[in-house]
Amino acid sequence: MNELVIKGNRPPGVLDGLREVWFFREVVWAFAERNVRLKYKQATLGVAWAIIQPLAFLGIFTVIFGRFAELSKGNHSYAAYALSVLVPWIFLQTAVSIGAQMLVLDGTLVKKVYFAREAPILGAVLATGLDFIIGLALVLIMNRYLGGRLAWTVLLAAPLWLLMAILAAGLAMTFGALTVYYRDFRYALPILLQLWMFASPVAYPLTAVPAKWRALYVLANPAAGILDAFRRILVEGVAPDGGLLFTSTIITLITAWVGYLIFKRMEPGFADAI
Amino acid sequence: MTWAVRFEEVSKRYRGGGPRHASLREDLTQLGARAVALLRRRETVDQGRIALDKVSFEVEAGESFALIGPNGAGKTTALKLLARISYPTRGSVRFRGRVGALIEVSTGIHPELSGRENIWMYGRIMGMSGREIKRRFFNIVDFAELGSVLDMPTKMYSSGMQLRLGFAIASHIDPDIFVVDEALAVGDAGFQAKCVERMTALVNEGRTLLFVSHNLSAVETICRRGMFLLDGRVEVIGKSDEVLRRYLDWVDTRQLERIGREVQFRPSGLLRIDHVSFHDGTGIEKGVFRTGDDVEIRLAVTAEARIARPFFSIGITDGRPGSLILCSMLVDGKVPDEIEGMSTLACRIRRIPLLPRVYQVWCSVRSNHGYGEIFDGQIVGAFRVAETSLKFNGPGAIAHTTADAPIFTEYEWLW
Repeated sequence: MNELVIKGNRPPGVLDGLREVWFFREVVWAFAERNVRLKYKQATLGVAWAIIQPLAFLGIFTVIFGRFAELSKGNHSYAAYALSVLVPWIFLQTAVSIGAQMLVLDGTLVKKVYFAREAPILGAVLATGLDFIIGLALVLIMNRYLGGRLAWTVLLAAPLWLLMAILAAGLAMTFGALTVYYRDFRYALPILLQLWMFASPVAYPLTAVPAKWRALYVLANPAAGILDAFRRILVEGVAPDGGLLFTSTIITLITAWVGYLIFKRMEPGFADAI
Repeated sequence: MTWAVRFEEVSKRYRGGGPRHASLREDLTQLGARAVALLRRRETVDQGRIALDKVSFEVEAGESFALIGPNGAGKTTALKLLARISYPTRGSVRFRGRVGALIEVSTGIHPELSGRENIWMYGRIMGMSGREIKRRFFNIVDFAELGSVLDMPTKMYSSGMQLRLGFAIASHIDPDIFVVDEALAVGDAGFQAKCVERMTALVNEGRTLLFVSHNLSAVETICRRGMFLLDGRVEVIGKSDEVLRRYLDWVDTRQLERIGREVQFRPSGLLRIDHVSFHDGTGIEKGVFRTGDDVEIRLAVTAEARIARPFFSIGITDGRPGSLILCSMLVDGKVPDEIEGMSTLACRIRRIPLLPRVYQVWCSVRSNHGYGEIFDGQIVGAFRVAETSLKFNGPGAIAHTTADAPIFTEYEWLW
């Protein structure tokens, strides 16, 4: 029989952690399912919120930024651009903010039952994925009216979403772990996410960033290349910029890895600190 | 035999005196202080309260093992380490096999979800696979006695129903190593009986059981071996009857000391009790006896004036209201004609029929003919019956002789 060793003063390893997550995959799924069920039980409008949220932002963006965006506008309408990026961005933002709260919200379970501590966070990220699918459907329908070009490249949304989910999971884990110890992050995270949105090509296209800053911009923000790729595949109907996406993929993987490392380092104290 | 669980020098320290929220500001100041100490090459001291201190033990596969000890001894901490909820600060915990904990999870039951959904959700979170839940679904529903309200949101359930649902889910997990905290498996008596039944069944199936309990009778009947924890240290590990004896010994010793400290000889009018002592049949002073020993209780008294025919009474109680034994001059009629100044009286009890525990002795003195109280009934001393010279072989012998009815009488069951 294989042996499990838990050593004091030594945080669990990342690879062991991933193995444990795989072992507890049903629990991840259970948390995802529960989050979805709860969301649609507790909110009267349920699924509709997955549509209302991006549309509301779209309205605001069009009114405020539509005019400035004229400058860097391509062949398609600002609204089409903005919506195609808003949907993945809202996924990222929601997944991080809900995921980061899960350990505290499910504190009673964390304190009483053992399961891979990643499970509630990953479950929340997966559950948010449902909103993304609904939002994606909205983008595809609206494209016709907003003047986007529909092409086979839409299929690339799946791998791009996965990349986004990895980024969201890594960040949600770091902030989730920090929130367990310091509730301050509950209040800091929404502000950080808001700032991140304005530091990402959501309201404006990547081309609006001055060329000499663009490389640094993409290096510093793992979401930049992914969001730009979404814009290309959903509105312009062309493949993502290979070099850009490659850079962002690497940065995303590094960010997620470091995020997970921080989580694993802080994990041993979770049950005592919640 | 191979072990299923092994603690190797396990220590657990809680930061800041116990499990609690940390504050960013405090931690940053502490970090600063540590950096300064490190720069000045000073030793940094580990902060916080130590809950377990180098605890080592081994539980064999298929064995039932008890953790006992007073509150705050580290039982719950050990249990959390066993259930893998918490991590050790030092040392290592090793497992061979899947661990599951039988705990009360009604707090995890979600009020918006129906009973059915909760079984599916929490069954998996507790460690059952989808297949296992499918197979046991109706057992769980039966166990929880919730058949008719299965599709209602659990917020409509009574608190008892929620408790039953949570417990039913938790008790249907099927691990190799089973961790049970009696304090968490709450519920009405019927439900606790179900819990004990389930535990016994698992032990009989050959699962490893780790059991934390204050119910010594359950520990004695269910567990083969055990450990007595005190102040985070292992006091003794061994067969459960040995461990129980040591634990009870500790409890009684402490109780005897406490009562001894609390006894005050309040003067009561004419008569004063100066000293009370206990002696064995040969006259040697002792505080601890065995069932069936001769016990002599000596009272050193001072009468301020001449008291004619003082009727002394001595009563023995185990703390419950009323007396178990009454030795009264009012009953047997032998009474000194008079006492004055200092004198000593002794009451000799032959073959004391009391089972192990701490006993308190009260004394009262009534005047001539038994009317009028000279000395009111006060607790004047305590002694302990520690073990019995008799052999009891029943599976609950220790727990029942020490916690149930205190009087020993010879009996025999026939069929």
